[in-house]
Amino acid sequence: MMAVPMSRSYDAIVIGGGHNGLTHAAYLARAGRKVLVLERRPVLGGAAVTEEVYPGYKYSVCSYVVSLLRPEIIRELDLPRHGLEILPLDGTFTPMPSGDYLWRMSDHARTRREIYRHSPLDAEAYDEYSKAMADMARFVKPILSMVPPDPLSFDVPGFSRLFAMGRRFQRLSRTAQHNILQLMTMSAVDLLDQWFETDVLKATMSASGIIGTFLGVRSPGTAYVLLHHYMGEIDGVFRSWGFSRGGTGAISMAIAGAAQEAGVEIRTQASIERIKVKDGHTVGVVLEGGDEIDAPVVSSSVDPHRTFLKMVEPGVLDGSFLSEVRRYKLRGSSGKVNLALDGLPEFTAMPGPGAHLRGAISISPSVEYMERAYDQAKYGEFSTHPYIDMVIPSLTDPSIAPPGKHILSCFVQYAPYKLREGTWDEKRDAFGDAVVNTIAQYAPNLKKLILHRQVLTPLDLEREWGLTEGNIFQGELSLEQLFFLRPVPGWARYRSPIRGLYLCGSATHPGGGIMGAPGRLSALELLKDWKRGKVA
Amino acid sequence: MKPDVVIIGGGHNGLVAAALLARGGLKPLVLERRDVVGGAAVTEEFHPGFKASTVAHLLGPLRRSVVEELDLKNRGLGFVEAEPRVFAPRPDGGGVALWGDAGKTAFELRKLSPEDADRYPEFHRSLSAIAAYLARLLVLTPPDIDEPLKGPILSWLGLGMGFRGLGREDAQRLLRWGPMAVADFASEWFSTDVMRAIVCGRGIHGLFGGPWSAGTTANLLLQAATGDGNGAGSAVQLVGGLGSLAGALSAAARQHGAEIRTGATVERIAVQDGRVTGVVLAGGEEIAARAVVSGADPKRTFLELLDPAVLDPDDVRRLRNYRQQGMASKVNLALDSLPPFRGDASPDLLRGRIHIGDDVDDLERAFDDAKYGGISRKPYLEATIPTLWDTTLAPAGQHVMSVYVQFTPYALREGSWETRRDEVGEATLRTLETYAPGISRRVLARQVITPLDLERTYGLTGGHPAHGEMALDQLFLARPLLGWGRYRGPLPGLYMCGAGTHPGGGVTGGPAANAAREILADLR
Repeated sequence: MMAVPMSRSYDAIVIGGGHNGLTHAAYLARAGRKVLVLERRPVLGGAAVTEEVYPGYKYSVCSYVVSLLRPEIIRELDLPRHGLEILPLDGTFTPMPSGDYLWRMSDHARTRREIYRHSPLDAEAYDEYSKAMADMARFVKPILSMVPPDPLSFDVPGFSRLFAMGRRFQRLSRTAQHNILQLMTMSAVDLLDQWFETDVLKATMSASGIIGTFLGVRSPGTAYVLLHHYMGEIDGVFRSWGFSRGGTGAISMAIAGAAQEAGVEIRTQASIERIKVKDGHTVGVVLEGGDEIDAPVVSSSVDPHRTFLKMVEPGVLDGSFLSEVRRYKLRGSSGKVNLALDGLPEFTAMPGPGAHLRGAISISPSVEYMERAYDQAKYGEFSTHPYIDMVIPSLTDPSIAPPGKHILSCFVQYAPYKLREGTWDEKRDAFGDAVVNTIAQYAPNLKKLILHRQVLTPLDLEREWGLTEGNIFQGELSLEQLFFLRPVPGWARYRSPIRGLYLCGSATHPGGGIMGAPGRLSALELLKDWKRGKVA
Repeated sequence: MKPDVVIIGGGHNGLVAAALLARGGLKPLVLERRDVVGGAAVTEEFHPGFKASTVAHLLGPLRRSVVEELDLKNRGLGFVEAEPRVFAPRPDGGGVALWGDAGKTAFELRKLSPEDADRYPEFHRSLSAIAAYLARLLVLTPPDIDEPLKGPILSWLGLGMGFRGLGREDAQRLLRWGPMAVADFASEWFSTDVMRAIVCGRGIHGLFGGPWSAGTTANLLLQAATGDGNGAGSAVQLVGGLGSLAGALSAAARQHGAEIRTGATVERIAVQDGRVTGVVLAGGEEIAARAVVSGADPKRTFLELLDPAVLDPDDVRRLRNYRQQGMASKVNLALDSLPPFRGDASPDLLRGRIHIGDDVDDLERAFDDAKYGGISRKPYLEATIPTLWDTTLAPAGQHVMSVYVQFTPYALREGSWETRRDEVGEATLRTLETYAPGISRRVLARQVITPLDLERTYGLTGGHPAHGEMALDQLFLARPLLGWGRYRGPLPGLYMCGAGTHPGGGVTGGPAANAAREILADLR
């Protein structure tokens, strides 16, 4: 694919054809720049990729749902015209070992009735909670589109943006201020404890606070991530999540389409050996095999470990910057299991097919279950009873599996990158078994249905997708690695100590997920530098 | 004579407030429920002939301005900064000692790990610099969230300049470290388990969190700021136990004209037309005053001593959610001789804090037990043996070992503290046996103070030693609640001066010193 005749010189080279790299390239090209995207794998998309791993079944291999894809990107790149179509993902179904279940839907009234069944008090509280969270989300959301200020330099525009936020904060009610403070610092469970009494409700809600982190539901700092669920925005609707028709790879392909239309060249199976630096400036890249491509600007969408420790020659960067980079934490904590099924799984708690299978299905039966899963990971084991978030996208999008057959896509946590004993190559199957066994406790017919099983451990995510240590967000979303501290203090504004070398991936503000925001914001910053003559 | 100000609780903060207010020209009256003043800073005889600082056993240390303004050095207080400041015995004998002098520490660490020895001086320097900066924050009254620019604008500008003055590296560290898990912080600096464990111990001390909990580094930084920022932490004690402090503070308070009444239980804070007018004692006696200052914890002050009807329901909800559940116990041991640490650790090494907890996992596992409402099977311990340098506390040749035990959650999942008290004593001795085999046979008596005792006897609601979790959302201008961070609650005439206000727990006098400044500004 993409066999475009190549010229040898570009304004910018983008390392990595994931959704952020592609978004970045598209914005640069639309501003008239000549851009080349280099992707190591044969397919584009990075972790937002659809692959036919098993004939007839198109897995969203890694990332499997969309929520935070920035509306401005959808609009500005005109993604629907390039084939983007988001299908609704409605509700979260949580089966319980007792045979009962909790089923939350986007229809607020129905969810309220469902929660009432568990606790009348909680149904009451759910209204208030939803309203409070939506308020918070509205307050916090502008941060996602904001270039972080640098607290250590005289950054006037940065500070005036912060100051404006401060003023908005002051105008909130005391209760809202209090809620925001708690959201920013507390644990998901501590926060939910203040609102609800139903254990399963707290467990399943808190789960969204730990996804992709090496934290437990009781770890401070996890409450903030709850908010992300309320920031998910598709066509302007708060809180909606969705599938992309054709799998998450279709998002990447739509962005790639927009990029190519704007003139971006894309080359796959092009692995970067080294970023060339001369007198403190980037001058291009060297590919594996020795090919060199020149450009005054290189934007890396891969993580800082890979970028600065592997692709830049030792001796170019100073020691204190490098030690900050080394400190940047990428500990992966999750795996993925994709199953091709002969039919639909039947949950004991709600037998038969139904709308509950069209949303997310969450194995998060109690707060203690979640916390114990984390305990194992802390000491270097994968959870034998993990938290699992799964979807059956083939119900909503029949194009991805043969008629009557289905795909079950399972996000699994915890699977620590560093195992205390053994290796992931030895434990891959045991991990897959733990996941299948766990689900089978709730859906006993599952094992009979499995036609094909793909198990991705953190090691696989690293080897195949270049996600260092298997971290799906290219670095933990913990407070000390967010906003003006992401990826390292002093370098949160997409630039690096090497002139012309930019970062544009999930390791920069505002972080991971199929959001596109890092790719876009970094492109806008880079374009500013060009305009001011700061790069050649 | 009618007092100007009634102070609820004769803990060390209540006494500091009383002394400073009296010194500032007001007439304070301190009302203490118990027969002794001092609150959690007391010396009590727990076995005939054996006295211990039964609850807190180390000073915060005290804020220097409090010591100077109240002339405490000339009131017979014997401050002892024990050396080494901390000693961590190892189960296989030997151990690691950290001294006030960083050079000496680094020199001795070299035997254990040249790498850690190389890192130590920079650790000490950086921590000291950041602590010195944070210390400036501790003495300030937090800003008013509605009008942050009101007040001592110069101090804020000074803080801003000070932040830049830290230099890029330390300033970045401060930003990054605050929300971090102390386990990560420790491994950024040190490679040996024992050094990491010592650092983690400081991070989790007094918190309901393990070393992998985010925000535990902030706890360590706050402690460092309270002390001198030394890489080894501080280990300041008093001759005669911490109870001596109460004596000296009472003397200072009385000399300046304050009155102190013990055995006086405040039953209710009187409110008239939305304004606090005084207090009502158990038994019905009413005492009117221009202002009431509570040294009691926020939950007691607002949920028990006040009629909830006078508060905004939203505030009541926020108070109920204020996290104030204790996690620690105290075990005081009367010993017939020194504990026999393996490898014949010299008694000279045992004069400061004795840290028990081998590695990060050990401390985290101790927390795991507590997370599910259980008593740690192998708790994190911080012990002192004050009789090594203070012979007034025990008969000649015999010793007192004061052991802080974490985690023992206030809310047990099974059973009650009435029936499970002994388990804490047993878990403590079992853990100590690993390091000092045979110690149990030397125990003449043991006193166990559980979180429930802290609540019942010492009035710490929820058994929380710091009047509420020192978590990021309950600090600074949000301590105890956002909007109440300036020592004033929602009712005119009511002030707070206890550990539930900025800068929080520890025997420092800090909250009271800040509160007294605000009260004097309002009333004088």
